[in-house]
Amino acid sequence: MQPRLLSWLGIALTLLVAPAWAKSSTGDKVLIVTDAKLEMSDYSQFWDGLRSRGYELTFRKTSEDEPATSAFDVPSFSHIILLAPSAKTYPQDLSPQSLVHLLSDRTQPTNILFVLQPSTPSVPLRDLAREFGISFPPPATPLIDYFSAVSPANATSLLLSPPLSQHTAGFESGKILYHGISHLRSSNPLLVNFLNAPPTSYAADPLEPADAVVEAAASGGEGLWAGGRMGLVTGFEVLLGGGRAMWVGSLDLFADAATSIDGEATANNAYALALAAWTFQETSVLRIDAVEHRRISESAPREQYRIKDEIIYRIHVSKFDPTTGEWVPTSEIEDMQLEFTMLDPHIRTALKPASEEGWYEAQFMAPDRHGVFKFIVDWRRKGYTALHSSTTVSVVPFRHNEYPRFLSSAWPYYLGALSTSAAFVLFCALWLLGGDEEAKKKKTQ
Amino acid sequence: MAPPKKVSTTASSSTSAITSALQDLVQSYKENTPKRVKIIDAFLLFIVLSGVAQFVYCALITNYPFNAFLAGFGSSIGQFVLTAAFRAQVNPATRSQFTIISPERAFADFCFGSIVLHFFVYNFLG
Repeated sequence: MQPRLLSWLGIALTLLVAPAWAKSSTGDKVLIVTDAKLEMSDYSQFWDGLRSRGYELTFRKTSEDEPATSAFDVPSFSHIILLAPSAKTYPQDLSPQSLVHLLSDRTQPTNILFVLQPSTPSVPLRDLAREFGISFPPPATPLIDYFSAVSPANATSLLLSPPLSQHTAGFESGKILYHGISHLRSSNPLLVNFLNAPPTSYAADPLEPADAVVEAAASGGEGLWAGGRMGLVTGFEVLLGGGRAMWVGSLDLFADAATSIDGEATANNAYALALAAWTFQETSVLRIDAVEHRRISESAPREQYRIKDEIIYRIHVSKFDPTTGEWVPTSEIEDMQLEFTMLDPHIRTALKPASEEGWYEAQFMAPDRHGVFKFIVDWRRKGYTALHSSTTVSVVPFRHNEYPRFLSSAWPYYLGALSTSAAFVLFCALWLLGGDEEAKKKKTQ
Repeated sequence: MAPPKKVSTTASSSTSAITSALQDLVQSYKENTPKRVKIIDAFLLFIVLSGVAQFVYCALITNYPFNAFLAGFGSSIGQFVLTAAFRAQVNPATRSQFTIISPERAFADFCFGSIVLHFFVYNFLG
């Protein structure tokens, strides 16, 4: 009785705990790199949140060399959190070049969460950010906004309401405490806006907050890092490989101290975990499972099609479900397109969700043009994994014996040819008979 | 074709002159043309009508399938050309120009050419 009860308890516990165990679609190992000055216990709620979702956290100071981010060119960790905003130098395996190399790996990319501090982004980080198309205001100029400030005396601590998005599904609503810097985004299409600065905010030295405004006013508004187009939280997704990076302008966003303000709870922890969920490829992760193409009248795929064949193309897409850690077929993409391309797309048509979950389907007639074609699906949407699939097939012309025969519209021509032949035979017979008659006439004469 | 025997000079109007000329033409054709040449002419007339009918069908109704039109129309034209050549070789009026080729040889050439033509036509008819 006793062991049975225990096993029941075990099952019940597993059921209770299981939904909280979310897994990333790429891996669970997280390396957290910190400055020597930072106290890790100040961020314990964030760590606990990550641990409860099944991540294994490994801590390392920027002054240390171990554990390395990769061994023998194979990444040792799936994710890196760079919580070292003020480090002047980084070890070799955390240099900007190494980080970009890790992030842009095509088969096993390492996702990176960059966290910055209000004071000074260090020179290596500034240079690295420029690679992503992100630039920062001058040093020691945090974001100031008197309209969303917690108190007028502390205009650098802002209460913001992040917009709700598919990509940060874990964050439902609430205000977050933001104390940090803003950045300017370039027009790089791989950047994903997560949080923008309030329209009334600007970056300035908090000791002389009016100076920047006065100077900018004198030069017609030039040189003021202000307005709603400035970014606070920006994601970046690599096109090939799908590695994700996140730039967060506030270290305090993750701090335990920011989870409540004057005894009132903020949504900081939920938002920080939601940002981590996107960065660590939990949310908005898609993949192509299968691609099929065939003639409409057949069931097996072909390597070559004939011009003007009716072709059906099907593609199966799954989405990663972070609550169960499984890939689930999804039909939620409404704007996927298929291109049938030989140098240029000869046909571009919508891939509509089919009746079966996860399948998208397009039916079209092959162009009247033979050559080597590709079925191309290239779906890129901000924040989602880019989907790309390319399948090469040949399109051949009709063979000599494949043309349609005995067409009703061609009967006059068939009759014309047949009657000419028949008339020829008749003529030959008459000619030969007529010859006999003449010969007879000659004989009788 | 043999020239008409007599020319009408007493016609009062041009229409009656044309009518009588045509009548003379037909009369002369009936009288002076050998029977075998008449057979050839009947065959030529049939080919012309068939070719015109196909061309009108193509122009007014449909030229699809075009290869069938080309085959049918080409068969008419080819047969007409071969038959016209054959007619020139066997017609007593023009016979003097083809003294090297006997009428039997001309008929054999005509048959061979026609058979080759019909072979191509059916290959192309589709």
